[in-house]
Amino acid sequence: MKGGWLKIYAIGYLLFLYAPIILLPIFAFNDATIIAFPLKGFTTQWFSELATIPALHSAVLNSLLIAVTTAVVSTVLGVCAARAAARYQFPGKKGIMGAIMLPLVLPEIIVAVSLLVVLLQLGLSLGAWTVILGHVLICTPFSIAILNSAFQNLDMSMEEASYDLGETPWSTFRLITLPLVMPGIISSLLIGFTISLDEFIIAFFLTGAEPTLPVYLWSQLRFPQKIPVVMALGTILVLLSIILLTMAEYFRRRGIARAGGKDTGGFL
Amino acid sequence: MTQPIIELRDVQKHYGEYHALRGITADIGQGEFFSLLGPSGCGKTTLLRTIAGFEGVTSGAVLIDGKDMAGVPANLRPTNMVFQSYAIFPHLTVAENVGYGLRRRTDLNRQAKEVLVGEALEMVGLDGFGKRAAHALSGGQRQRVALARALILKPKVLLLDEPLSALDKKMRDQMQVELIKLQRHVGITFILVTHDQEEALVMSDRIAVMFDGEIAQMDDPEVLYRRPNSRRVADFIGVMNFLPASVLSESGDRIEIEVNGLGRVEIGTDQAPLAGANGGTSVGFRPETLTILYEGQTSNDHIAQGVVEEVVYYGDMTYYDVRLDGAETPVRISMRNLFGRPVLEIGTRARIAWNPGALVLFR
Repeated sequence: MKGGWLKIYAIGYLLFLYAPIILLPIFAFNDATIIAFPLKGFTTQWFSELATIPALHSAVLNSLLIAVTTAVVSTVLGVCAARAAARYQFPGKKGIMGAIMLPLVLPEIIVAVSLLVVLLQLGLSLGAWTVILGHVLICTPFSIAILNSAFQNLDMSMEEASYDLGETPWSTFRLITLPLVMPGIISSLLIGFTISLDEFIIAFFLTGAEPTLPVYLWSQLRFPQKIPVVMALGTILVLLSIILLTMAEYFRRRGIARAGGKDTGGFL
Repeated sequence: MTQPIIELRDVQKHYGEYHALRGITADIGQGEFFSLLGPSGCGKTTLLRTIAGFEGVTSGAVLIDGKDMAGVPANLRPTNMVFQSYAIFPHLTVAENVGYGLRRRTDLNRQAKEVLVGEALEMVGLDGFGKRAAHALSGGQRQRVALARALILKPKVLLLDEPLSALDKKMRDQMQVELIKLQRHVGITFILVTHDQEEALVMSDRIAVMFDGEIAQMDDPEVLYRRPNSRRVADFIGVMNFLPASVLSESGDRIEIEVNGLGRVEIGTDQAPLAGANGGTSVGFRPETLTILYEGQTSNDHIAQGVVEEVVYYGDMTYYDVRLDGAETPVRISMRNLFGRPVLEIGTRARIAWNPGALVLFR
């Protein structure tokens, strides 16, 4: 059979990649505090226990606040950068865009440590806003990548046609540009939200007294009896992430179709 | 010409080092169908965009209806544009697209606007399409929506940037005729940018042929076709045969010339447009000004002899490449395929009737 080995390799690879994630829900519903086979029985106890931990609730709230703010700020920055990149030629454009996209490939630990050093040198105290700062830094490149495809696919004469028909640059942005790139904006918001919600390293370094959800989860791993609860929480987070990413990609593609363009990028 | 609606006065446009418009001066009359014709990169679209207000001028002036447009942005100019890509807003319906320009008209209530939109759609043959989504339209329908959207504001000038280039040949021919009818109906000045010389000839009252940021010739289609003022214009508009020639003598308004393959002949000075130094002296003539004589046919015109070297059959027409005796290169002759007249074969010797009045001397 031609390509038979390749097929087996591909399936093995996928198993290796995703099997650990599948373990999460399995043990989240397992009626035992020890993470080991054979399974003992089915329970939703760990999920109901989630509702009784106040520290967890404040971590969730903290994470939501950070994720929403990060998503909004990085999307606004992304809209500005993507529109500038799509419409204008200016000296050093490639270099500037490259510098903005750099955090995409920089190890997060480096970003986190250097931000921490700078913040401490400046004598600033850590808190939710410092995490937001770090998250905006790593989310903005993603926003730009998504919004770039939205703006590149937007026919430049759309805006000109709107001026030509009597609208001002601002009303044109509101009536024409914004609705046409809106799917890209929604997709960028969702991606930013997801990345920020899941991010650990930067949050770990820059968080103050109130941990984010991933940092809280990590702190709970020291207590073996808490592990099933962590598994339950992890299950919820994985589901949430998959749903958000799928929605983001759906909106990005719809945007391209709406502007009458061809799909030229994206993450999924 | 009556009071011009558009006056271009020595319009210059620089993009950094690049000199896109090198002093354009022209008057375009009220109600005229005016075309800017030229190869890509000749500055025709730039000129259209300076009239629309999307580009500023480096020096010179654009006047619309007597008012200097310097500093007036596109949204405040009495011009509207049909874009090459049509730029139909895909997230709006057809009616919303067409009515887009009426948004700022506070003097009209909703019913009045709806009536105007309905009329505009009817004018372009799209009545009943108002509720459709714009992104689901065909190319020809988009074109019509773009026209209706631009004309609903009753602009003083309608600017069309290669509006037919995205359509297939049949649709294009049909839209050409419709555009002419529409222009006559609304009486608005149309300025058309095109690289298609046939389109310009078919549609325009007057054509400005542009090369390298300058107007090379501005005339009505017939003059442009019959009396191009330079070899370059002649080459760009339709098919033109060129044969090397030499001037023997000039006296008064007559010029005696010797043409390879046609012999000695006298022409009027009006057939020798202007002196330009490009590559020696030659005469030009159109393929249809020569006639191949069939056996027994006679003609009062001059007669030349030649051999058919190539035959290109087009159905209604046949093009023959004929090498005249004494000429280096063949000339193209077009003949209508009348009923009962056989298509000649390659290698046939033929007599060709021609008239000195059809010659243009370039020197």
